[in-house]
Amino acid sequence: MRIGVFVCHCGTNIGGMVDSHQVAEAAKQFPHVVYATDYLYTCSEPGQLQIQTAIKEQSLDGVVVAACSPRMHENTFRRTIERAGLNRYMFDMANIREHCSWIGEDKEANTRKATELVRMAVAKVANHAHLHSSLFDVNKRVLVLGGGVAGMQAALDCADGGLDVILVEKKTSVGGRMAQLDKTFPTVDCSICILGPKMVDVAQHDKIKLYTYAEIDEIKGYVGNYTAKIRKKAPYVDWTKCTGCGLCMEKCPSKQSFDYHNEGIAVTTAINIPFPQAIPKKAKIDPAYCRQFTKGKCGVCAKVCPVKAINYEMEDEIVTEEVGAIIVATGYGLLDIGELGEYGAGRYPDVITGIQYERMLNASGPTQGHVQRPSDGEEPKRVVFISCAGSRDASLGRPYCSNFCCMYIAKQAILTKDHVPGVEVYVFYIDIRSPGKGYEEFTRRAQEEYGVQYIRGRVSRVFPQGKRMMVKGVDTLLGAQMEIEADLVVLGTAATAAPGAQELAEKLRISYDGYGFYMESHPKLRPVETNTSGVFLAGACQGPKDIPASVGQGSAAASKVLALFSKDQLASDPQIALVNERRCIGCFKCQDTCPFGAIEERELRDGQKVAHVIETVCQGCGLCTSTCPPGAIQLQQCTDNQIIAEVEALCQAWKQRS
Amino acid sequence: MPGMEAKELRVVGFLCNWCSYGGADTAGVSRFKQPTDLRIIRVPCSGRVDPLFVVKAFMEGADGVLVSGCHPRDCHYAEGNFYARRRLEVLKRFLPFMGIDPGRFAYTWVSASEGARWQHVVTDFTAQVHALGSRRTFGEGGAGNAGTR
Amino acid sequence: MPVLADIKEAITRELEGLALVIGWGQGYDPVHAVPFFCRSSADIDRLIWNPLCVHNLVSYLPKLKGKKVGILCKGCDSRSIVQLLQEKLIKREEIVIIGIPCRGVVDMNKIQALINGKEVIDCSFTDKTITIKTSEGKQEASLDDVLAAKCLVCQYPTPIIFDHLAGAAFSAQRPAAAVDAEVKEIEGLDIPARLAHWERELDRCIRCYACRNACPLCVCRDHCAADARDPHWFSQRTGVNEKVMWQIMHALHLAGRCTDCGECERACPMNIPIQRIRRKINKEIKELFAYEAGVNPADTPPLYTFKVEEPTIKESEW
Repeated sequence: MRIGVFVCHCGTNIGGMVDSHQVAEAAKQFPHVVYATDYLYTCSEPGQLQIQTAIKEQSLDGVVVAACSPRMHENTFRRTIERAGLNRYMFDMANIREHCSWIGEDKEANTRKATELVRMAVAKVANHAHLHSSLFDVNKRVLVLGGGVAGMQAALDCADGGLDVILVEKKTSVGGRMAQLDKTFPTVDCSICILGPKMVDVAQHDKIKLYTYAEIDEIKGYVGNYTAKIRKKAPYVDWTKCTGCGLCMEKCPSKQSFDYHNEGIAVTTAINIPFPQAIPKKAKIDPAYCRQFTKGKCGVCAKVCPVKAINYEMEDEIVTEEVGAIIVATGYGLLDIGELGEYGAGRYPDVITGIQYERMLNASGPTQGHVQRPSDGEEPKRVVFISCAGSRDASLGRPYCSNFCCMYIAKQAILTKDHVPGVEVYVFYIDIRSPGKGYEEFTRRAQEEYGVQYIRGRVSRVFPQGKRMMVKGVDTLLGAQMEIEADLVVLGTAATAAPGAQELAEKLRISYDGYGFYMESHPKLRPVETNTSGVFLAGACQGPKDIPASVGQGSAAASKVLALFSKDQLASDPQIALVNERRCIGCFKCQDTCPFGAIEERELRDGQKVAHVIETVCQGCGLCTSTCPPGAIQLQQCTDNQIIAEVEALCQAWKQRS
Repeated sequence: MPGMEAKELRVVGFLCNWCSYGGADTAGVSRFKQPTDLRIIRVPCSGRVDPLFVVKAFMEGADGVLVSGCHPRDCHYAEGNFYARRRLEVLKRFLPFMGIDPGRFAYTWVSASEGARWQHVVTDFTAQVHALGSRRTFGEGGAGNAGTR
Repeated sequence: MPVLADIKEAITRELEGLALVIGWGQGYDPVHAVPFFCRSSADIDRLIWNPLCVHNLVSYLPKLKGKKVGILCKGCDSRSIVQLLQEKLIKREEIVIIGIPCRGVVDMNKIQALINGKEVIDCSFTDKTITIKTSEGKQEASLDDVLAAKCLVCQYPTPIIFDHLAGAAFSAQRPAAAVDAEVKEIEGLDIPARLAHWERELDRCIRCYACRNACPLCVCRDHCAADARDPHWFSQRTGVNEKVMWQIMHALHLAGRCTDCGECERACPMNIPIQRIRRKINKEIKELFAYEAGVNPADTPPLYTFKVEEPTIKESEW
């Protein structure tokens, strides 16, 4: 073979800690290498042109680029060599940046390491084969998981783009977190007033099929051809009949049910419609509180329902939907405030969370928008906000910033001033984070126009003092201990991964970080893609983010799906397993272990049965290759011989060392 | 070739593309300093790692071999690391029987977000191999006819 | 009824529906048995059964898939049948198994030592003894002294699976712990001593692959990875590394499949104690997965399946 080696300096990123020129010089001695050079930025246009020129002038039939991680630029350089007429798979990268220059402190050792990595890559390319994609059909339907603002935006954009959309929401109504909010920062718009029309659009769009009170049981398949099993949970109300009249709620005798929409600061009925603007506006029975379920008798709702929609015998239903892509917009959860013992959260009724306070401020909330102490219903004269309650706290395993608390605390502080004349408002903060458009001005307004007292410092303890709560903290700017008596304490509780996020990730085969937030494909350049082709992210499931960012990601994910579906057929990845039929002994151990069912039996003309890989189903994991005793099934681009060649090349280098 | 640093040993790692290779990238991006001994071979999945690759590396003179994949339940290919775990555990228990020190082979799980964990794994494993020193392999010096190598 | 008569009667009954019956016949002298393919009723009388019937005839079965055949098997051999059935490499309905409870077969090396190069005229057995008549006289020895090592630790004297059982079934006579004695002996050595042991033993390997060819579970045959160019695991080098690599490859390809029949070691012309390599893996597999190959046709070999939680696997704490 005639292999060319191109060693990148990446400015000083590599060049500072690896002698790239020396690596290129050493590479000239390796078997198959006919050309080697180094360049300041190989990925730049002149850098890529240099490769293309060398391919032509040196008649190269294989290329190795020693630069950054192949996870970064493998595709870039594959396209480069393809443009020069080479098969794009006659290429490999040696990662001499992330795995070498950035982590090793000894330039000489780094240079040696880089040289050896190049030697391995060359040995691998020498064993590469030309691979060619084939085409397969795409099912142009998209599944959106989560009916919050991000999911709805994604669903609407996809539907407006002409795609059939399946929207699955866990709760009985779409709307998500935003439907719980009273106002939005920094414009102090009424949240449900701007969200409501979107919710109606989702419900009425003829391209959107809505499953609320539903969850994903199973996802199978691959980009272009996923099959989802959706569990429609039993609401014990026949929604084809329910008109949302609310009579059942009026008559339900079980009035002490946990009110999820109001975050538990109020109670509701066992059969309920969560909020007036709910879409679809359908009732659901909470069997944990319903007397028919807990005591075995009641039946009031069944008696009063004018359309006879109540069905206590209802069971979950599983529906199957075939789609080509999935947008995950499952949102975030909130820290269980029981973890914040020092603030007395969960123990003292007058210490509440921001989202609970949001419900209290809301005109359709349990207090009709009146600010009241939960303990005695009195209007507070002094309200204290504590930001970073559970976030930016490594001791609680949550060193990250929850992104939107500073802003909603400013908003709630302003609203408090509006709702309660003469109220004093204090905010304990670590830093005020207001980097959005109009955000800084908004937090300044809270302080300057509304007279909200911002105290830089942490609260160490909150405890009851008579009827009031004593907030004990430190003002780090004054360097003084602070004690403030408050009537109401509101916590800017940490945003967490949504409950069940990890289980869903496992079903989708996407990654999540240490906190349970989903991992994007690249933090800067592929923020809504995942590493599983055809699965996209939108909104706070990827990390805490505010409404405009979530909406933006919803649209971004939708545009990714629309781009994906702009072709009728997709090119399959040829890096899949291939059976050498002459060597297959027909033991079918590959079939037993393949996680995707990608292996079928094929009968040869002499009657012998051999394994055959179904191209579109194979995902290229290579489990079959390491299972096959004779090595008859080989994962293309990662064959036994390629890995053995890498090991042997490394061994040659080791021998030359000593 | 640059000058030899006698201290550096022969360590090879087989890393799955989706989690551990990404984790090693994350460690690099974060500039988490690591020993320079390790050479990484990228495979799609820890399930792709034939235990014989590990054996081959030892036969070719490796002082240490590390395999790292996605955490169980978080495999990009759903099940690959479950198979890997069984195979590699059997291998781990078997290699010492053949005269390869138990400290020279390890398998673990590192996700793409765990750059710090990767640094920790590489640093610890390399130190562990260094504690054992350079390995004498079959036919090197001791008894037996080394054959024509 | 004597066992051999029992065997012959069963074959007489079954032969008509079978392409052939695999048994043992006498070899070139009275102390050598050879595999014998019995195709007609005239062949039946040439069958023999005695402690010289060392071969595990199951090795022939995978190649005969598609034909209905009869096979004679000892307890140990029967495990190979079970394992092949488990892996769907043979079909139960295609084989008629004539099982023979077995008190042990000889180690031919020990017999050779007894004969010491002389011409053998006759060989006979009692329950406890072997008597060999050579050109220079008569040699008698206790059977236990000439039995194969594997028989001295036998746990499955009676076949696990059979259609006809020739002779009376009996349970294991040897202590179970004895199976791992050789393994434990090596485990008792320190790492350098183990290395030295294998270096010394395996350096004798001539890579003739007799161990593989005799192995009933080595079903790849002509397509063995050791002979291939793609994948190209082995070079033409003759260093001990390549020999060790081969033995580890064989052992790992048998992990969770090896039925401990000992054919590999019996076939080895260099008398390398290679069975203990497989036994070590068997031991670990048993400890990890409570699994023994070739005892239950409904099992799945443990390396071709998994559990989401593996309570027995303790991973390194990083």
